[in-house]
Amino acid sequence: MDPLRVHIDQALLVVGIAAYVTAAFVLFAHFLLRNPALRAIGLPLAAIGCVSQFAELGSRWWMTGVWPLTNLYGSLSLFSACAVAIFLIFAVRYDLAFVGGPVLALAAIALGYATTWNEGYMPAVPALQSYWIKIHVPIVITAYASFMVAFCVSLIYLVKAAAENRYARRGRSLRGVAAGAGGANVDLSVGTYAQSAQGGIVRNDTPALTSAAAAGDATASWLAGLPSLAKLDIMQYRIIAVGLPLLSLGIITGAMWAKEAWGAYWQWDPKETAALFSWIIYAGYMHLHTRPQLRGTFTAWVSVLGFVSIVFCYLGVN
Amino acid sequence: MEARSGERVASRALGSLRESWNDLVRLFAHVPFGVSLLAAWAFLTLIGVIIEQGKDPSFYAGAYPPPIARLIVRLDVDNIYHSAAYIGVLGLILCSMAAATFTKVIPRRIPRLNPVKIDAIPLHARVRVTGDAESVRERIAAFFAARGWQVRKREFGGTEWTFADKNNWARRGVLVAHIGFVIIATGTTIYWAKGYSGQFAVLSGETATIPENGAKISLERFAYRIDPIQTKAGTVFQPIDYVSNAKVTGKDGIARDAVIRVNHPYDVDGTLVYQATYGFAIDFRLTKDGRPVAGPDHPLKEGEGFVIDGTSRAIQYQRFVGTIDRATGQPAADPRPNDPGVVVQAFDGDRPAGSAMLALGQPADLGAGYALTASRYVLYSGFQYRYDPGMVVVGIGAFVLLAGLCISFYFLPARLFVTARDAGDGATEVGIAATTVRGYDVFEERFREIVDDLRRTEPAAPATEAGATPVVVGRV
Ligand code: HEM
Repeated sequence: MDPLRVHIDQALLVVGIAAYVTAAFVLFAHFLLRNPALRAIGLPLAAIGCVSQFAELGSRWWMTGVWPLTNLYGSLSLFSACAVAIFLIFAVRYDLAFVGGPVLALAAIALGYATTWNEGYMPAVPALQSYWIKIHVPIVITAYASFMVAFCVSLIYLVKAAAENRYARRGRSLRGVAAGAGGANVDLSVGTYAQSAQGGIVRNDTPALTSAAAAGDATASWLAGLPSLAKLDIMQYRIIAVGLPLLSLGIITGAMWAKEAWGAYWQWDPKETAALFSWIIYAGYMHLHTRPQLRGTFTAWVSVLGFVSIVFCYLGVN
Repeated sequence: MEARSGERVASRALGSLRESWNDLVRLFAHVPFGVSLLAAWAFLTLIGVIIEQGKDPSFYAGAYPPPIARLIVRLDVDNIYHSAAYIGVLGLILCSMAAATFTKVIPRRIPRLNPVKIDAIPLHARVRVTGDAESVRERIAAFFAARGWQVRKREFGGTEWTFADKNNWARRGVLVAHIGFVIIATGTTIYWAKGYSGQFAVLSGETATIPENGAKISLERFAYRIDPIQTKAGTVFQPIDYVSNAKVTGKDGIARDAVIRVNHPYDVDGTLVYQATYGFAIDFRLTKDGRPVAGPDHPLKEGEGFVIDGTSRAIQYQRFVGTIDRATGQPAADPRPNDPGVVVQAFDGDRPAGSAMLALGQPADLGAGYALTASRYVLYSGFQYRYDPGMVVVGIGAFVLLAGLCISFYFLPARLFVTARDAGDGATEVGIAATTVRGYDVFEERFREIVDDLRRTEPAAPATEAGATPVVVGRV
């Protein structure tokens, strides 16, 4: 193999991992401190990592002449690159930089783990020598990557919801002591609108959180600075709405490939069945999300379960 | 008299039957009920991933504690995807989806143009603009039409309403997705009713027949390519190609040359034949006291065996070893037949009585004067075949379903309800409320932009009371 190409490949890999790890720390710091400068450093770093990873996959193809997604190294590499790319698109479009910490950390872990599967040059086995691999694998991996980003949003949702619940309970007990009866009666899945001084609308999830923040509680004011639960829920929904059609298309193209390679579009083999399992969970998520009463904590847990099923399907079933 | 009371009883029975039917439809149309069915489907699917499917009962007896192994076999968990429970859950999902589609999706997604209480809808705003109600109404209609909204006007009880719809067509997205699912179910049912599939292996130089359609496949030659590849972990022998050269005879009786390789199926009268596996069949020779005795009458494939006549002993051919490492006497990594051998297992009755590796052509002593020789190997090719008349239907259903998902997720139908009311002093108060098929939160920012845009475009009337003009949005 051309040593120059090997060096380029190695250099891009190192740049990718280094950029992800640094971006993960910087964006975690942004999540905690809300410092715009950290956001301004973290997002370009993530972009550098993402570009160098795509370039690395390209250079690997150039170096070996073999489509790079025929093994776990290639597919996990693409997974982390796609997750970061989806995160960046949402970060720019919907101001989602605050989820960058967990997304970049998971992307770095995936890439680090991928390198342990790097066998070097390896031609594809006959069943993988099909143009379908170039269609099916990137689609499925992009679906998995979007579910990973949605999972990170769900985690933040659940943390915020749990913290707000605590504030709501605390508010209730304080008020209960003061008034001798009654309570805050906060419904986390709904939230309230208020008018800002400028005449626009701002969204509060629980009055208890706003009151605690106004009273100088540092955690409450940090929490109040995060997007409202309703907004987090919508972001999670939007990202899953990218992943589910992609997963459906991935299953369809997988079936078309299976028809050519193994004789039947559906053989109930463990991999395709595990993908169906994940698909059903996300279809359930979409249906639960049509019900206002179930939108919120419950659907966030379903999204977490969905991603667990994706990890199981991706790494646990072979 | 009696006839009338009979009629009454019958009509009461009919009424209560209708009531029960309506209750049943309501239950099936309830989304949490449908999602519970999806959860049951997911659960059964997962069981099939975790527990190996289609194995012999003895496999489960060996792999699980006896009560669980018995349960697996008794409850059809070993073949779960074709079990009554699995098919039943899918049937219930279809019923639930149909009930929801007719009683909820269609009425809710395709609603009539009706007036609303503006202030009772969480996303609402009141804007005071200059001009009389009639001209404001016209300007508002033009405002929305210019921004791609479909504008319709209706009068209810003397009040004129303007309805502005965005992506109204996309209200049918759910319907399309649900129909896609039904089409897929129809396609799979067609396969179950009329399709078939199977597998067979043909030795080089022999002919096999597909029983369902009588097509004959004569294998002239099977070839494979396996290359040694240097990886970081050492040399790996990687399969590169498998190909069968065959003569295939279909219904017309004409034998045609066919090259069947992985990923390139061959179509014979609508039945697709695929290259699935290959192997090395072995010609075994058995002797007793140096003289040939009856052994297997055909080359054995991996897993096949024979009983030694007049004894309780049996020999099973377990696997082919491409290269025997002469230094260690153990199988080497290279699977290509350089210095081949076979692994055989002897049985005494049902009891294993030891296994051995035999180099090809060299006799092995079985005891009691018997000797076994693996004299030569013959390559065979393993094919799968399938006739699936429902496949096109499933394909269409899959794409319809996908289109439904994309329509539902990426095109949000929203409806604005607008009234214009004379507010005196040459001003008109415009009331706007918005609804979407996916709640209010998802449209909050867009609604704010629309109202801001409207306030920028329309000349604002001086407020007569504090807080009359800003956007006021209520509780969801
Ligand atoms: C288990 C039985 C099912 C029931 C009871 C059911 C019922 C419903 C209902 C009531 C809605 C909401 C309609 C609305 O808000 O106007 C809906 C939405 C939807 N359904 Fe189903 N459905 C079922 C199965 C399925 C399946 C198997 C699919 C296949 C993908 C599917 C795809 C969809 C889609 C894409 C939406 C739109 C979701 C959204 O807009 O966020 N449904 N379904």
